[in-house]
Amino acid sequence: MSAAPPDNDVLWARGIVKSHQGTPALRDVSIAVREGEVLAITGARGCGKSTLLGCLSALLPVDSGEVWFNSSPVHTLSRAGREKLRRDRFGFVGSQPHLVPELTARENVALPLLLAGAGHKASYSAADDWLERLDVTDSAKRRPAELVQSQRQRIAVARALAPLPRVVFADDPTAPLHREAQDQVLRILTSAARSHQLTLVLATHDPELAKYADRTVALVDGRTPAPATPVRRAAAVVAGQ
Amino acid sequence: MFYLRLVRGYRVLDLGRWLLTATAAAVVAAFLLRALGRALSDPPGAHATLERLLWCLPPLLAIGWFTAIAARALPTQRPERMAGLTAAGAGPRWIRLLIAGELALACALGAVATLLLFLVLRNNIAGPSLAPELGMGVPLPPAAPVALLALLPLAGGLAAAAAVRPGERLPGGEEPDRARHFGPVRTSAAVLLTIGGILTELYALRPAAAYDPRTLGLPADLGHTNAALLGGWAVATLGLALLTGPLLAGTGWLLALGRPSPQRLLAGRGLTGAARELSAPLAMLAFTVAVVLTSVRHWVAPGAEGTGLLPAAEALLTTGCMVGAVLARLAELRALRRPGSTALLRLGASPRLLFGAAMLRWAAAGSVVLATGALTAVLGAGMLT
Repeated sequence: MSAAPPDNDVLWARGIVKSHQGTPALRDVSIAVREGEVLAITGARGCGKSTLLGCLSALLPVDSGEVWFNSSPVHTLSRAGREKLRRDRFGFVGSQPHLVPELTARENVALPLLLAGAGHKASYSAADDWLERLDVTDSAKRRPAELVQSQRQRIAVARALAPLPRVVFADDPTAPLHREAQDQVLRILTSAARSHQLTLVLATHDPELAKYADRTVALVDGRTPAPATPVRRAAAVVAGQ
Repeated sequence: MFYLRLVRGYRVLDLGRWLLTATAAAVVAAFLLRALGRALSDPPGAHATLERLLWCLPPLLAIGWFTAIAARALPTQRPERMAGLTAAGAGPRWIRLLIAGELALACALGAVATLLLFLVLRNNIAGPSLAPELGMGVPLPPAAPVALLALLPLAGGLAAAAAVRPGERLPGGEEPDRARHFGPVRTSAAVLLTIGGILTELYALRPAAAYDPRTLGLPADLGHTNAALLGGWAVATLGLALLTGPLLAGTGWLLALGRPSPQRLLAGRGLTGAARELSAPLAMLAFTVAVVLTSVRHWVAPGAEGTGLLPAAEALLTTGCMVGAVLARLAELRALRRPGSTALLRLGASPRLLFGAAMLRWAAAGSVVLATGALTAVLGAGMLT
C-alpha cells in the first residue's frame, strides 16, 4: 500500500478505473482536492464526470485504484463504512433535486442531520436556517410536488449544506435551471463553501460556470489529460470574485 | 407477433400478471360454458338459466378490476419499454391500445383453453354426472359459446384501456401530486355512512326484533335475512371502504407524530403519501376477504348445509384477483418510490433503515385493513345469523 497523501489534500485519488457493466467510464483518473478549495471538473457529457464524483464521494466502489479522504483510505471501506462516510462527511447535489416526495421541504433539509443522529431541535433549526439563506422559507411546509423546479433545486442545495459536511459534491447542479437561477445557486454554493471552509467539487459541462472555481480539471473520455498535481490554475477567478 | 416479442422480455412479475389473468379467465369461461350447457340440457323456459349467468358476473368484475389495476401499473413498472415505444412513434392512444390488447389476449387465451376442454369433454368423454352440465347430446349452436366467451377479453381489455394512464409516463408528461390529502367532505361522508350502517344493523338486531321474519333469501346457501339488516350492512361496508384511505393517511400521520426518528418519519409520511393509491385495492381486498370468510364460516357451521362447488370456486377466484390487484399496485408504488429511495441511499441512509421504514409502513397499513375487514366480517356475520 502506498503512503498517505500530503496533509493539505482533503481528497485524493490515484489511477482509478471504473466501468458500468463493461462500459468503461473512468480509465485512469488521478486527482487531488485541497482543503477548502472550489474545484471544477469539466468535460463533455458522458466523459465520466458523474462517475468520478460517485467514486470520490464513496457512492460507487472503484474497480481499481485508490481514493483517500483525510489521510484514510476510502477504496477499502465496506458498504456500511461508505454509508457512514457519506452521512457524516459528504454532501451531494445532483442535476435533479431528488427530494423525498412525501416529506415537506423542511423535513427534507433536516433529514441528513436526523440520519447522522443529530437531535430533533438542532436538525430542524439548522434546516430553517438554511432554508432562509436560500430564500425558500415560504416553501418550508410544502411538499416538493407543490413547488417549482428552481425552488426544489434550492432545497436540494440546502439539504446538502445543512449538516456542514467537509466536502460538498455538486454534479451539474444547475442543469434544471435558467441562467439567473444558475448563477444564484452557484453563488450560494461557492460562498457557503468559502464562509464555512467547506471543500466544493463541482462537475459541469458548461465552461462558463467553471469561472466560479479556484481550479479546473478537464476530463476527456474518462481520463485526466495531465498529471493530477495542479494541472492548470484556471484564470483563478474572474474579476470581481 | 408483436406480443410474442414482448413476452421474450418478460420478468417474473409480468409472467405472474399474464398467468393470473389467463387462469382467472379460464375459470370464468368454465362458469359461462356450464351455464350454457345447462341451458341446452334444461327444458326451454327454465328459470335458473338467468341466475346461472348472473353468477358469472362477480368473477367477471373481479377480472376487470385486476386487469384495470395491472394495466395502470404497467407504464410505471416498465419505463424503459414506454420510452422505447414512444421513441418508435407510439402515442398515448397507441400505448393504451397495446396494454389493453396484451391483457385482452391473456383473457382470450384462457377462454379458448377452456372452450377446447369443453368441446373435447362434450365428445362423449365426460361421464353421465357431467353430461347435463355440458349439454351433451344437444347440438351446440356455434354462435353461443363464441358470444359468451367474447365477454372475457372484452371485459379485461375495456377495463385495462379505461384505467391505463400512459400520459404520465411519457417524456414531458405531467406527474400528478400523488400525496394529495383526502377532503373533509369525503372523510366525514365515509364516517357518517359507517356509523349509520352500524346503527341500522344494531337496531335491526335488537332483542325485540328477534321475531322479525327474515324473508329475504340470500344466494349461495347463505340463508335468510331481512331488508334492514342487509341495507345496514351494505351502507356500513360502503362507508368502511371509503374510510380506508383516510384511515391509512391518518395512521401515517400518527406514525410521524411527535419527534419521530428518521425511520418513523419516513414510514409515516410514506404511508400518508401512498394512502390515495393504496386505498381502493386494499378496501376491495378487505371487503372480499371479509365476505368470503363470513360465508365460509356460515357454510361450515354445525348444522349448516354447506354449499356447492360454484360459490367456493368463485370465492377463491375473486380473492385471488383482489390479492393480485394489491400486488400490482404495490409493484407500481415500489417503482414510483425508486427515485426517492435512491436519493436516501445517496444521503447515506442504510438499506436496513429503509427496510425498517417499509416494514413499519406495511404493519400500519395491514392493521388498518385488518380493522376494516374485521368490522365488515362481524357485521356480515350479524346479518346472517
